[in-house]
Amino acid sequence: MTQEERKRLIEQRLKKRYLKEKVFRSIGLLAVLAALSMLFILFATIILSGYRSFQQTYIRLNVLLDKTVIAPSGSANDDDIFSADYVALLKATLKDMFPEVSSRQEKKMLYSLLSSGASMQVMDFVMQNKNLIGTKQTIWVTADDDFDMLIKGYIKRNVPEEERRIKDVQLKWIDKMMAQGRVEKRFNLPFFINGDSREPELAGIRGGLVGTFYTILVTLLLSFPLGVATAVYLEEFAPLNRWTDIVEVNINNLAAVPSIVFGLLGLAVFINFFGLPRSSPLVGGLVLTLVTLPTIIIASRAALKAVPPSIRHAALGIGASKMQAVIHHVIPLAMPGMMTGTIIGMARALGETASLLMIGMVAFIVETPADILEPATVLPVQIYLWADSAELAFVERTSMAIMVLLWFLIVMNGVAIVLRNRFEKRW
Amino acid sequence: MRKLLVASLVFMFLFATSAVSYAARDYINIVGSSTVYPFATVVAEQYGKSTKFKTPKVESTGTGGGLKLFCGGVGVEHPDIANASRRIKASEVEMCGKNGVKDIIEAKIGYDGIVIANSKNAPLMKLTTKDIFLALVKDVPTDKADELKPNPHKTWKDVNPELPDVKIEVLGPPPTSGTRDAFVELAMESGCKEFAWVKELKDEKKFKAICHAVREDGAYIEAGENDTLIVKKLAANSNAFGIFGFSFLEQSMDKIQGSVIAGVEPTFDNIASSKYPISRPLYFYVKKAHVDMIPGIKEYLKEFTSEKAWGPDGYLVDKGLIPMPPAEREKYEKSVNALENLSL
Amino acid sequence: MVINLGTVEIGQTAGRPFLDKSKVKIENRNVNVYYGEKHAIKNVSLDIGSNEVTAFIGPSGCGKSTFLRCINRMNDTILTCRVTGDIKIEGKNIYNKSEDVVLLRARVGMVFQKPNPYPKSIYNNVAYGPKIHGLACTKAELDEIVETSLAKAGLFEEVKDRLSQPGTSLSGGQQQRLCIARAIAVQPEIILMDEPCSALDPIATARIEELIDELCSNYTIIIVTHSMQQAARVSQRTAFFHLGYLVECDKTDKIFTKPEHELTEDYITGRYG
Repeated sequence: MTQEERKRLIEQRLKKRYLKEKVFRSIGLLAVLAALSMLFILFATIILSGYRSFQQTYIRLNVLLDKTVIAPSGSANDDDIFSADYVALLKATLKDMFPEVSSRQEKKMLYSLLSSGASMQVMDFVMQNKNLIGTKQTIWVTADDDFDMLIKGYIKRNVPEEERRIKDVQLKWIDKMMAQGRVEKRFNLPFFINGDSREPELAGIRGGLVGTFYTILVTLLLSFPLGVATAVYLEEFAPLNRWTDIVEVNINNLAAVPSIVFGLLGLAVFINFFGLPRSSPLVGGLVLTLVTLPTIIIASRAALKAVPPSIRHAALGIGASKMQAVIHHVIPLAMPGMMTGTIIGMARALGETASLLMIGMVAFIVETPADILEPATVLPVQIYLWADSAELAFVERTSMAIMVLLWFLIVMNGVAIVLRNRFEKRW
Repeated sequence: MRKLLVASLVFMFLFATSAVSYAARDYINIVGSSTVYPFATVVAEQYGKSTKFKTPKVESTGTGGGLKLFCGGVGVEHPDIANASRRIKASEVEMCGKNGVKDIIEAKIGYDGIVIANSKNAPLMKLTTKDIFLALVKDVPTDKADELKPNPHKTWKDVNPELPDVKIEVLGPPPTSGTRDAFVELAMESGCKEFAWVKELKDEKKFKAICHAVREDGAYIEAGENDTLIVKKLAANSNAFGIFGFSFLEQSMDKIQGSVIAGVEPTFDNIASSKYPISRPLYFYVKKAHVDMIPGIKEYLKEFTSEKAWGPDGYLVDKGLIPMPPAEREKYEKSVNALENLSL
Repeated sequence: MVINLGTVEIGQTAGRPFLDKSKVKIENRNVNVYYGEKHAIKNVSLDIGSNEVTAFIGPSGCGKSTFLRCINRMNDTILTCRVTGDIKIEGKNIYNKSEDVVLLRARVGMVFQKPNPYPKSIYNNVAYGPKIHGLACTKAELDEIVETSLAKAGLFEEVKDRLSQPGTSLSGGQQQRLCIARAIAVQPEIILMDEPCSALDPIATARIEELIDELCSNYTIIIVTHSMQQAARVSQRTAFFHLGYLVECDKTDKIFTKPEHELTEDYITGRYG
């Protein structure tokens, strides 16, 4: 072939090659944009459906703290205050505000505008202000979830009455209260400091958050050292024989096992055989350790493999023992990779619900756990249970809880990345 | 040698924590039906707030699973109370007995209606139980004895000429759900019995196999346990129907409507008076042996059987429970608080 | 003239591979090294004299680095490698099961071809060895060892103000001197150098050769080198390897002026390389 021919052939081909590159690059760009837009849509949907949950409707009432009801015996000791009939006080207040309400049916509808936790809120007020018993005080109480939904616009006024949970007569009273300036939307603090409740306006995520914290703590403390040690052993010390191969294959397979299987294992071994307490963060942490361990081991092994042999030789050459070479030199260099594996594992563990189902953490638990042996639930489970509830007000709270979970995840990832960067040595 | 020592220490630690924590269980442990769950949790919360006892832990494991755990034995590691959306079976009582659970207290708490609902944008359906059966059964019996043919009905009009010409699309609970058990028993069985030869069948297994089998060709879609999701799907698809509990209908009446069954509308009054045919009683069962072991069980029973909980003006009604008639309420209130044993 | 190199069989090593017992530091007898099936070192017997520099020369792939690594048992880290024969340091066979390889490597230091300082600070690079072998009890003693070693390696003046900076921030030549400082901080008896200057420029090379000159009065040094000129400059004895055989070993001037074996002469005159 002549030089001219050769040149022409190469030039022709060159055009095609550049075109292919362009196409490949644009496909890549499109893929990234698609992923980003899905992420954006996810966040937008959740935020839009949940942001209103930042606020909760409150009603201002002038309650007469009737001595005869709260402290009939004269003295105001704690037990009396605790068990007094605050419902009666609230009903009396409402009667004052709406004297025209007479039928039993209507009285019930009027009282249902207040949250069932309102009586508890009055009790708290009295406990803290014992000296005010006998006087009339202004107390803000939580509104019932249907009232709240109306104020936030989920329940529409222009829909026929039979299709609404707030009836026309209730609308009249609500309008009157709003005109008197008694209705206000405030920051929804109960959402963050209360435990779970069947009443949406009183439900909070504290139990779920604390439970998640304990469970993740147990998981981290168990899975990180165990995973790193296993990876180091397999990579640096294990003899190259059949048994090691079998172990390797099994670990890789375990990474793909559905997590509910680990839940069943947890039930059989930890709860039935060892007799550990059901629904506790200890058992939850143990089960999640099993779930995350394969991920950490595989990522750590890859990180260890990536450390060049020259580092090991340099350490061994100076007279370091195998163990010292691994601990002082190889592991610090492999640490960023190990931490990445741990972050990925923890992120997966944070969102686990199926495996916790079998060990009893999918339950209605109001009390916040005080330690890792008390019954607890985790935030994803809380979200799942709320998503399954019939009340409309739980919909926005579910989205809000999802936002908290995502925020938790982002913070955890952020901390891990900061830690990883600190460990990263440039060489 | 050292490894053995470390391993045995770990084992001992695990056993020790269990002993320590269980010896001190001071909360009530409740498992069972997902239908009774919304009611049990409300009572638990009220009880926790108004007494000095800790709020009970309530797990939604399903009726079957709950009773299995319940019958596991007597002791702090076993649950105290099991919720059920059907009566306990004789075989389950036997299993309980085998594991040492001899004295069981039965408490009926009220009724729950099952509705077949569709979107408010579509016309309201008036169905009979025969219609339901013919629409959803797997194999339809013919007039010849012992003969079955696969369900040929594609639209509601095929089932009954008076119904609209709309494709049959029903979203319902999966076979693991107690709601499904109740639905096939109450809705499908009576339609099934309209075929004379089926009604005469002595073999109970065969009867159940014919009447409880739900079609799997796509017209009946198992929509999981998430009833909120089913409601959302109905709002989006006017041709679809959903099967779920009455409480969900009540909470979303601006979006969905319940079909009229055998001429009766699914309303609170109709279900309470047993006029509406698809309703079932709800129960919970208590281990007598645990009443003295775990603090607060007596008080929990008192709370649940009080008028302010399960009465017609009680807070459980707000959650969608249909209360029992007054005589029945009195009967159970007495027997439960006196810790009377179950007699099947 | 075309030399047929592949079919060479060396019977006996030419020159004087053995020394008087009083002058011997390392005694190698009938050493064979196999990488799996490949016979890399073929029956080499050689003495290394104490307090002098011995150079290993030969074309690529002749086995000089492999043989060097036998002396501090670095070949143990290569799974397919098998070593037979006797290597005795001051009379004791280092391949005995009872000999601790960690102690051996504290006595026999190594400097690698490509500088490989630890990704730690300059101070810690040098201090690591003494720390793990317990050679310093107090920080002051450790500081002293670090300073002395860096000074001996000719690096202290250049880095004394930045001891906490990472070792990898130095230039190539400085890194290699750091590796030498690291090796001598442990006060070994023998230092093995595997082509220490191959990655360095001429000025750095000259400094390292100067250093080797200074060190040899206190240490026994073996240097593997590709450059015959370097071998001629720094060593007192030279061993010439070819395809796994030890062809000739003698005093450096003798090897480079009056080699006995034909192959040696061909190599040093550049007929093949």
